[in-house]
Amino acid sequence: MKKVFFGLLAIVLLCSHDMFLKMDNYFLDPNTNAAIQLFNGTFEKSENVIDRNRMLDMSLVGNGQRIQVDSAQWTEKDSITFLNFKTGGPGTWVAGVSTAAKNIALDAKSFNDYLEHDGVVDMLEWRKENNALDQDAVEKYSKHVKTIFQVGEELSDDWKTALGYPIEFIPQENPYDIHAGHSLKVQLLYKGKPLANQLVIIGSDVSGESSMVEHSHDGGEPHTHKSGETPDHDHNSGLQLRTDDAGTLEFEITNAGVWHMRTIYMVQSEEEGLTHESNWATLTFAVGSGHSAAHGTDKDEDHHAHEEESFPSYIFLLVSLVIVAGLFFYFKSKKK
Amino acid sequence: MYIKPVGASFSLLVMLLFPMLLLAHDVSSGDQQILDSGGLLSYIWVGAKHMLTGYDHLLFLAGVIFFLKGFRDILKFITVFTIGHSITLLGGTYLGVQVNEYLIDAIIALSVLYKGFENLEGFKKLGTRAPNLLMMVFLFGLIHGLGLSTRLQTFDMGQDQFLLKIISFNVGVELGQIVALIPIILLINLWRDKASYEAFYKASNVYLIIAGICLFVYQMYGYFNGH
Repeated sequence: MKKVFFGLLAIVLLCSHDMFLKMDNYFLDPNTNAAIQLFNGTFEKSENVIDRNRMLDMSLVGNGQRIQVDSAQWTEKDSITFLNFKTGGPGTWVAGVSTAAKNIALDAKSFNDYLEHDGVVDMLEWRKENNALDQDAVEKYSKHVKTIFQVGEELSDDWKTALGYPIEFIPQENPYDIHAGHSLKVQLLYKGKPLANQLVIIGSDVSGESSMVEHSHDGGEPHTHKSGETPDHDHNSGLQLRTDDAGTLEFEITNAGVWHMRTIYMVQSEEEGLTHESNWATLTFAVGSGHSAAHGTDKDEDHHAHEEESFPSYIFLLVSLVIVAGLFFYFKSKKK
Repeated sequence: MYIKPVGASFSLLVMLLFPMLLLAHDVSSGDQQILDSGGLLSYIWVGAKHMLTGYDHLLFLAGVIFFLKGFRDILKFITVFTIGHSITLLGGTYLGVQVNEYLIDAIIALSVLYKGFENLEGFKKLGTRAPNLLMMVFLFGLIHGLGLSTRLQTFDMGQDQFLLKIISFNVGVELGQIVALIPIILLINLWRDKASYEAFYKASNVYLIIAGICLFVYQMYGYFNGH
């Protein structure tokens, strides 16, 4: 009976309960009302809301300032938690939410299933290798999520602000300065230091329909999964990469749209009453189709500006005026 | 009504070139927000705005109007252009036909070049007959519609009232087209009887050729370097 209870509890509390910060539109106008949605479930569907008292930090960073958001600004609707806020000046903003830790007790089987289906494969391997698959677990877990969005046209450096969460993704390049066809390097920090050899799962969402980026398993044929498809490995679907010694990973942005990445870092705990501790991190951002990009992502000097900035309209207008006026007077004088 | 030649030509020029102030007529965050927060009316608004800021569409239409005489002719050709772009705008978006935005805009740029070339009797000078204009306007209408469809598909439209949203955007495009064409038609027709019209006609159409070439090069540059 106890095992059944723990199993059900595990399903309710953990199964698919990734947390993401999402937006309907990642390209916002300055000084306008906007909303950030906190999804707790999957990237596609939020299954419940987060208690306000669990939110240790909710920050908005833009225009060089970090703003602590008051919990009164959150509202709930249809299992989604909304943060209504007013955008500030132009720039690339970052928002983050960090939750307080909670404990969960799981029987051995439920814990193994959870490790397998949520991509905590290193801990599962360890349990296999050390004949610990039959050990129950009491896990302390907390979630730390971020989203990066663009306000106005002007790019700024706020996107790379470390929020100081126990675990967090930090892009090494402004996602709003690149577009499909370019690669993006992202660093994963754990307690402020690069986290090496950590599995990260990456997906993208085009026009509201989630699609996992092309990937393969065990050397098999590359493939993708469409929304609604139920693959036999759905929680781990997507591009699976491991961070290098510097805690970074690099992946190709294959399409414009919303991109999301997630990881769960779990360690064994020495804390009394606990067996494990996990920290969950996600990051979302959008890659537009109308922004120019850096060619050769490693070279800052190769960055070229936004298309509209790189070719000022007034120059076009002036040149056009000069051409037509010149031609007009030329043809007029020729007629005489 | 008397319009000073230089002043009027300048006005027309500014009117023809105004869309270039918004060079890329790209999907903006503001437009996406308007669509997110408004209903079908917001699609009409964004469609109209897109047409009014779509310099390549308007340059082509201005080229067509230069060639035509009389309101009936203008109505006929604009109707054919409208039917053409509506077919691909509605069909292309509904069926999710994806084309490369740089390539389709490059072809649209060639339509601007084509019209200037034809207006200056380029085909005659080459010793060949120009293709049937009505057919060409219809063909270019299809291409322009595909360009509009490509832009519309870069918006996150959701699934609700999908077809109605496309139709609303198309209605907006037509309204924007009417708003843009009225002053262009008026000014060209008022100018037609003036002594300097020939010089203005030549200057404007040579400009269409130059603009077409420049836009084509610009889009191809974007195609090869922007991806």
